[in-house]
Amino acid sequence: MIEGRSITRTFAARRGMLGRRGVQALRGVDFTIPDRGAVSFIGESGCGKTTLGRILCGLEDFDGGDLIVAGRSMAGLKPGQRAPYHRRIQLIHQDPYSALNPTRTIGQILAAPLALRAGQRGEDRGWLEQRRAELLGFVGLDPDYVLPRYPHMLSGGMRQRVVIARALTVDPDVLVADEAVSMIDVSLRLGILQLLRDLRQAVGVSVLFITHDVATARYVGHGGQLYVIYRGTVVEQGDTDTVIQHPAHPYTQSLLSAIPVLRGIELPGPERVVPTGPLDERSEPPGCLFEPRCPFARADCRTAPPELGQLGGTEQRHACLHPARRSVVAVPAGTGAG
Amino acid sequence: MADTPAVCVRDLMVMFPTPDGPLPAVAGVSLDLARGQITGLVGESGSGKSTLALTLLNAVPDPGQVVSGSVIIDDVGDVLTLRRPELRRTRGARIGYVFQASQNSLNPLKPVGKQLLDLGRSHGVRDLRGFLHSARLLIDEMGLDAERVLASYQHELSGGMRQRVGIVLALVLNAHVLILDEPTTALDMLTQASVLEIIRKVHAQRHLTTLIISHDVGVVGDLADRMAVMYAGRIVEEGPTQEVLAAPKHPYTRGLLTAMPRITGDITEARPLPGRVPDLASVPRQGCVFRPRCPLATEVCGTAEPPVTVLGDRRFACFVAAGEAA
Amino acid sequence: MTTTAALTPEQLQRALRRSRQRAASRWRLFVNTPGRVVSCVIVVVFTLMAVVGPYLYPANLPIHPDNIYAPPSLAHPLGTDFEGTDTLALIVTGARYVLLAALIAAVITVVIGTAAGLAAGYYPRLAGSAIMRVTDFVLAIPGFPVLLVLSTIWHFSSVLQMGVALGVFGWGGIARAVRAQTLSLRERGFVEAARGLGLPGGHIIRAEVLPNVAPFIGMNLMLQLTGFIYTEVGLFFLGAVPYSTSNWGVMLNNAVFQANAVTSPRALAYLLSPLICILLITLALVTLANAVDEFFNPRLRRV
Repeated sequence: MIEGRSITRTFAARRGMLGRRGVQALRGVDFTIPDRGAVSFIGESGCGKTTLGRILCGLEDFDGGDLIVAGRSMAGLKPGQRAPYHRRIQLIHQDPYSALNPTRTIGQILAAPLALRAGQRGEDRGWLEQRRAELLGFVGLDPDYVLPRYPHMLSGGMRQRVVIARALTVDPDVLVADEAVSMIDVSLRLGILQLLRDLRQAVGVSVLFITHDVATARYVGHGGQLYVIYRGTVVEQGDTDTVIQHPAHPYTQSLLSAIPVLRGIELPGPERVVPTGPLDERSEPPGCLFEPRCPFARADCRTAPPELGQLGGTEQRHACLHPARRSVVAVPAGTGAG
Repeated sequence: MADTPAVCVRDLMVMFPTPDGPLPAVAGVSLDLARGQITGLVGESGSGKSTLALTLLNAVPDPGQVVSGSVIIDDVGDVLTLRRPELRRTRGARIGYVFQASQNSLNPLKPVGKQLLDLGRSHGVRDLRGFLHSARLLIDEMGLDAERVLASYQHELSGGMRQRVGIVLALVLNAHVLILDEPTTALDMLTQASVLEIIRKVHAQRHLTTLIISHDVGVVGDLADRMAVMYAGRIVEEGPTQEVLAAPKHPYTRGLLTAMPRITGDITEARPLPGRVPDLASVPRQGCVFRPRCPLATEVCGTAEPPVTVLGDRRFACFVAAGEAA
Repeated sequence: MTTTAALTPEQLQRALRRSRQRAASRWRLFVNTPGRVVSCVIVVVFTLMAVVGPYLYPANLPIHPDNIYAPPSLAHPLGTDFEGTDTLALIVTGARYVLLAALIAAVITVVIGTAAGLAAGYYPRLAGSAIMRVTDFVLAIPGFPVLLVLSTIWHFSSVLQMGVALGVFGWGGIARAVRAQTLSLRERGFVEAARGLGLPGGHIIRAEVLPNVAPFIGMNLMLQLTGFIYTEVGLFFLGAVPYSTSNWGVMLNNAVFQANAVTSPRALAYLLSPLICILLITLALVTLANAVDEFFNPRLRRV
């Protein structure tokens, strides 16, 4: 199990402004990733979800709070000592094209980490080749087809599967999929999403799915927790399907309202929400961060920062002083015309 | 009764040279853009949709070549036969084109205002002050601060702002046909929603004929009045958006809708589409191009390409679907 | 449960043949324009000269004191020098020193420069600044004047000594460039993934970074060769130890200062021969440098 407690991360300001004015990428985020679980982080670009994913994988450091991996506190360890723990969390990058070394074959790419593993376990070449074929089977690829090929000879979907297979070579606890399907053709996305979902059972790994496309999160995160992140804070959290159908925070409602509606098979949600004000709001008000754009803001929203609280006895949590459940997401249009 | 389509594409064939010989990226496409309507073109990578869009401007990049067909635009004639000066006048003044990821339309070394002036000057606009004024009005309509935008360089604007500036550049010369190539790819949900809203608004206000090209069925499904589905250089289905989505005729359209991650619908009913998205070299040379991945393929599908069946307002190219409709 | 479309044996054969063709066609990049064909021929001819040349003539070239500065004739196609030695013989035997020294120097700069650049780029915090200080120091040294001064006490009596002397001052540029490439490759997806998988730094540098820097190094090698040829010839032209009269640079020196070839037309062939050779070999190397770049970088190729 992985736990994040009040994770904070500030990036130094680039414009050489003297003083501590940095960009607050994360402002005290709490989350839990259970074993074999599925967790989704939803938000727009710049909200900090990618930074959070990279902190989990050890590619970035955090400034405050703590990360608990397999019972060990990462804050208590020096950066050099954390590597073995972060190895249990593997990143599936957005871009399958740059995630594989173009000068090596798939066979070589997978053999490198497996050779390390074999050395640790005292196994021989035979074990390596068998394990490699097994992992390729897990991800739905034919070893005879892919092993001798270079990455540019495979489609985007296949490359992403190779990336997943490579991540599995170290028997990780968590796969962090950061926009893992956004650069793949639409007809191939479902295959990857279902693969990630199935791996939870097949291999016992948890999946952290980071995306701005809520629809894809449905497929991987079914039965798991959904976190909505806005400018470095969690504004809403709960069961995936519940949050999608009954969001309580105006930002979540805005996001879900923005999803295009397929005319003919869907009808727009009855209470759609459109945020007001400029799109790239960067001010730091003392109260709620979303207040400048919130169509439901009231006087106290400007002064008091909302804490992540619970909505009337449910498991769902949100950070809003005046939450209200609204049906914003599209609904199926009855029975379609024949 | 100006019900003639604003743009008529007939039997368009665009070839690209490959190590295996010249192959068609666009193979015999015929499409009408209904006047005053938004038409959406859906296709995945390699479907030929971007090549088709560029052909409407007669701007197919080397080494591609238009081998046959015509693109007839309202008061201009066949774009493919125009001479250089006439073609230059048409681009911008008659047809507005918004490029994918509008970074490409914007010169990184010049502020937006200067580029607008360049555009005006190169199209022989005499009254540059009036021109800039109408540009300002357009930018205001987009919900942006006109003075700030005109003074900014490309890198000082966010993705959503750049996209809107792209739309401004496309419309400032009062074109009546607007083509948008992947206008919202790489944009966040909220930004995408606002850009789509702007396209809707501008289309209605100026009585445009709009073509929107996207790999995102949602974008087309939300915005377009009519939609066409492209696969391997061919249009496999076309019709009013609502009808095509509610009752798709072509197996590719059906498969795509079933394989698409959606916010509604039963997730257990979703099925991935088998096989790979074809590129130029792997398209079958004989028979229906979708055959290798089609669950309904029959004997006849392997013999020849299916002819276009017309059913009221809709068209599709499938042997099996044609049989069902009969 | 596989999702790849099953390939029939014929399709697999065709796909493999196509990829083999594509690999073979990459070598054709070196001969796909007339300029490149000519360049390849030039390089081959000079290489043969360097390797085989000295064996074609006796160790001490015959002198003809009564036939100095002879114009081109059948017996002496390029004329003779100040001692009456056949110019063609001088050219052919002189190729080896010039080309070999340049090659040694280029290899030294590439080896040291790449090692320094990779280490500085991959470990920017640990080794980066230290290595870059040294690199900047080396870059700041004015190579040519220093060599000129050195030549008064050191006589570069062997090819190896010349090569080392040239190479030791010349690796700064490559080090800087390789470091820059390594720094950017370090952030690429597959390198980050290798780190995350626990692969050791040595492996990553060798197997992940180096193959992706190789194209740049290859192209640079060609250009370095031309630079070193110039430096050498320049040194000898300015009179730094004329230990062997068949050295091209020494020939130029003799031609200009002793035979007054610049003003008197008699020994023109003696002046032009080494000059044209230098010109040809550098042109050939520069032309092929483009081919080397395209060889490694598919995006530059034209279909």
